[in-house]
Amino acid sequence: MSETVRTIRFTLNGETRTAQIEPHWNLVDLLTRLDLFGARESCAQGLCGCCTVIVDGTAVSGCLHLAAFADGATLSTIEDSHGLDAVQQAFIDTGALQCGFCTPGFILMTRQLLAAHPDPDDDTIRHYLAGNLCRCGAYAEIIEAVKLAAKRPKA
Amino acid sequence: MRAFELVEPATLREAAASLGADDSTIRPIAGGTAIVLMMKAGVFRPERLVSLRRIERRHAAIERTAEGGLHIGAMATLTALEHSADIRAAAPVIARMLRNHSNVRVRNVATVGGNLAHADPNMDMPPVLIALGARVTTISSDGERSIAVEDLPAGFYQTVLKPNELIAALEIPAQHARRSAYLKCTTRAAHDWPTLGIAVSLGDNDARIVISAATERPMRLTAAENEFRDPRKAAEAAADTVKIMPDARGSIPYKRQLVRVYVERALRAAMEAAS
Repeated sequence: MSETVRTIRFTLNGETRTAQIEPHWNLVDLLTRLDLFGARESCAQGLCGCCTVIVDGTAVSGCLHLAAFADGATLSTIEDSHGLDAVQQAFIDTGALQCGFCTPGFILMTRQLLAAHPDPDDDTIRHYLAGNLCRCGAYAEIIEAVKLAAKRPKA
Repeated sequence: MRAFELVEPATLREAAASLGADDSTIRPIAGGTAIVLMMKAGVFRPERLVSLRRIERRHAAIERTAEGGLHIGAMATLTALEHSADIRAAAPVIARMLRNHSNVRVRNVATVGGNLAHADPNMDMPPVLIALGARVTTISSDGERSIAVEDLPAGFYQTVLKPNELIAALEIPAQHARRSAYLKCTTRAAHDWPTLGIAVSLGDNDARIVISAATERPMRLTAAENEFRDPRKAAEAAADTVKIMPDARGSIPYKRQLVRVYVERALRAAMEAAS
């Protein structure tokens, strides 16, 4: 490794971690080296949401977020769960996924959406999730899943 | 992307000092949504990035001024602007525009200073700020200066900022009874980059009409402004005089026809908007 390597400290899914990173790594580069594959780089332009990571409570596109910016931060990924929560169960119950590639991003963004809008209408859901793409085209079921999750008690 | 040096100064002043006076391989990074894309595409290969994320928190503040305008730190995120009660009170057109701007994750980290410094001609924020008569305050080793947002872009992805000059804050004057609107035409999804953006700020005796995403840089449509009382005439004047730059989202004739339609609609929207 080169002289640009730096050590960062952060909290990842509840555990304190340190990692040696290169300044040009993004969050997905960091997470995959830690054997976490839920955040996937797909469009690589911040458009599709497959690489969604929650940083200090805020959703970011992991493909555009420098890993160096995780120093001192609290990261949460789709792997940060114990059993299925109401959002995940609603996606299963409504059939809101086919191949599942985009699903971690949709689940994480839906949790953010419901935290900000506990009872969202279609327009709010469509605007909030406009930055998440599902190539299987399960959008109708995804909107249904969000509304179902909103109705259910939070896990 | 390839390795580079990353420095994270604690103050805006230090950050400006860390930028080279004449070295295009040293650039600032704030949210990174634009510059990381350019690095991934290989169009920008930095030797050093100066991160602004550790500078004083006051540079992310959004405040109402005593005169009724807004003082916005350059590090304020687009999400912070979107949800600010002060923005909604003093310049609601900004909050309305942001709802269809990029997406939640980009808005969460992208900053208003970065948005302006990037000088991408295909954006929603600059034309709105130009219509509102906004100015930026900048800092460099030479001191501070104030630049109208209208004068900030020098061309395609270029600004009048010097290599070691940083935007510190955005100043939006009190709008009083002025009414504003922004209309964006997209040809794919609603949140896409605009194929055309038209911002209008309407006073009793004048209008500022600004075009984006169809010209080399966002600019006032003075021929349309002179006819602002008649939206149809204004739209024809704009379409007849504007020098269109085509891109993947539209040819010259297509964008010219959009100008003909959207300048009229934007003027009517401003006339109907609450002040």
